Amino acid sequence: MQAKAEAKRKPFLPSITSLSKLIRRRYLLFVLLVAPAFLLRIATAAYPIFQTILQGFTNFDVIDNTNSFIGFNNYQTIMGDFQVQSAVSFTVLLVIFSTVGDLVVGMLIALLLDSSFRGRGFARTINLIPWAVPTIVAGYGFRWLLDDQFGLLPYWITQLTGYHPVAFINPTLAQTIVILAHIWKDAPFMAVVFLAGLQGVPMDLYDAARVDGANAWLRFWRLTIPLIMPLTVTMGLFRLVWSLGSFDLVYGLTQGGPGEATSVLALQIFRNGIMFFKFGYASAISVILLLFVAVIGLFGLALFRRTEVTY
Amino acid sequence: MTTRWNIRWGAVGTYLSFAVFTFIVLLPVYWMLRSAFSLASDLTKVPLIYFPNPTLKNFQTLIGEVPFLQYTLNSLIFALSTTLVTLVVGFIAAYAFARIRVPGSEVILWILLLTMALPDVGTIVPLYQILKNLHLIDTISGITLVMSSTLAPFTVWVLISFIKQIPYEIEEAAILDGASLPQILWHILIPVTMPGLVTMGLINFINAWNNLLYPLSFNNSPASKTLSVAITEIYGGYSPYGKPWELIMAVGVAMTIPTVILIIFSQKAIVRGLVGGAIK
Repeated sequence: MQAKAEAKRKPFLPSITSLSKLIRRRYLLFVLLVAPAFLLRIATAAYPIFQTILQGFTNFDVIDNTNSFIGFNNYQTIMGDFQVQSAVSFTVLLVIFSTVGDLVVGMLIALLLDSSFRGRGFARTINLIPWAVPTIVAGYGFRWLLDDQFGLLPYWITQLTGYHPVAFINPTLAQTIVILAHIWKDAPFMAVVFLAGLQGVPMDLYDAARVDGANAWLRFWRLTIPLIMPLTVTMGLFRLVWSLGSFDLVYGLTQGGPGEATSVLALQIFRNGIMFFKFGYASAISVILLLFVAVIGLFGLALFRRTEVTY
Repeated sequence: MTTRWNIRWGAVGTYLSFAVFTFIVLLPVYWMLRSAFSLASDLTKVPLIYFPNPTLKNFQTLIGEVPFLQYTLNSLIFALSTTLVTLVVGFIAAYAFARIRVPGSEVILWILLLTMALPDVGTIVPLYQILKNLHLIDTISGITLVMSSTLAPFTVWVLISFIKQIPYEIEEAAILDGASLPQILWHILIPVTMPGLVTMGLINFINAWNNLLYPLSFNNSPASKTLSVAITEIYGGYSPYGKPWELIMAVGVAMTIPTVILIIFSQKAIVRGLVGGAIK
């Protein structure tokens, strides 16, 4: 139809055909330029997700040499799998506490880096160090810092109190350490983003508030916080989602121990899938992880719509 | 009067927080450095030795006993090629999203960005199978492919904002002069988006250099292993004093030095990119 219409018009309006040619060229160009990135994502993200969901319904296992459809059996097994159960509960605990910790500590660091004092440049530079230290290195670094025989912190505690703590035997203590280590690693990144947010708040708003008699505390709670709330929610969401799949720090710090106290879903997927070659079972655990991501994503979108503030 | 007091207390509070902040950030770093440049025997003495005689023995041991230089080279090739691939792929896509008006392009961009939410580990099993089928398992090309894909959406996102800041008139003039697209990209756009490219290059280099999951899952021969995998293997090793912490920390320091140097010299560029992703 269109071609016909075009052909009809051609003798009279040559400029329109050249325009449509231009538009077609424009489409072609767009597709060509976007294709590499898009195909890369299809091949290594979209297609694998699809595969994960499918294989979650199989008993694909390289060692046992099985690969057949077993319906929801993997999920039934998961319901009774103590290791996965512990991983689910600690993943939830870790994600919530480390995200809240990151936001609070990140905000405090940002406020520090935003105020003027001698050494601010130095503070801003070292703030990026935790972000730059490879996560696995940070994991081993903390493990060694807290080593019960020759670690610095237990040594100081013994010197001060006479009590000799053993960090990685007590489940609650181990969990706390993993959460704090996550905050050490990630809060500085939050601070960088918050700092930019703070610097983006127009100064005249503060001046106006000061003229109106609002003290520093009031200005912070009534002006700064509402203005950077959308940023906080966005960062919090990204952080939640990223930490759901976090693996390196636990792998270095505790390997999931003591027992399964600090095991996370990512570790369970890695163990079952990559170490034991239970592809079907690992895929089912991955599906659970993806469900968590989806739930948080939807919850977050809803929350995000409610926090947009304009002045 | 009151303001004076406020300022004084404020200053005290600021310097106190600065001290606490510096202490917490640098304590693990100090501990790693102290252990990496120390003899193993100096690490197992009580009372602890805060500043043992510095030595490079651990690095010599690493070079002699594990193919440390090979692993370093692998890490470097992996990080550099990932950086190159993400910049090329990300830049042309970002140009298309920023400059070519096509209906539906926003939806495509949105889908691309949505895939950033996927946890890497959630697709590790099918990725293993895909790389196996492509004969890319246990190769640096394989992890480069996967890592580039993981970093591509964020790269595109940040580069779009950099390209949009450039006035369109510059390109328009070139188009009217009859320049082709490759010419425009190469001679006009790349020079002016250089700050954005440097920023994303640094961030992607650091991300790839630090990555553990992909090399640990896919690569296990010395020819393709990275430093991040090497450190986990040394941790699994034995020594007469228990874990060989002096060697683990030496690898850790070797892995951290390049990234910290990059940060010290280009802190502003990196921050610009990290922030560019979060704030428009």
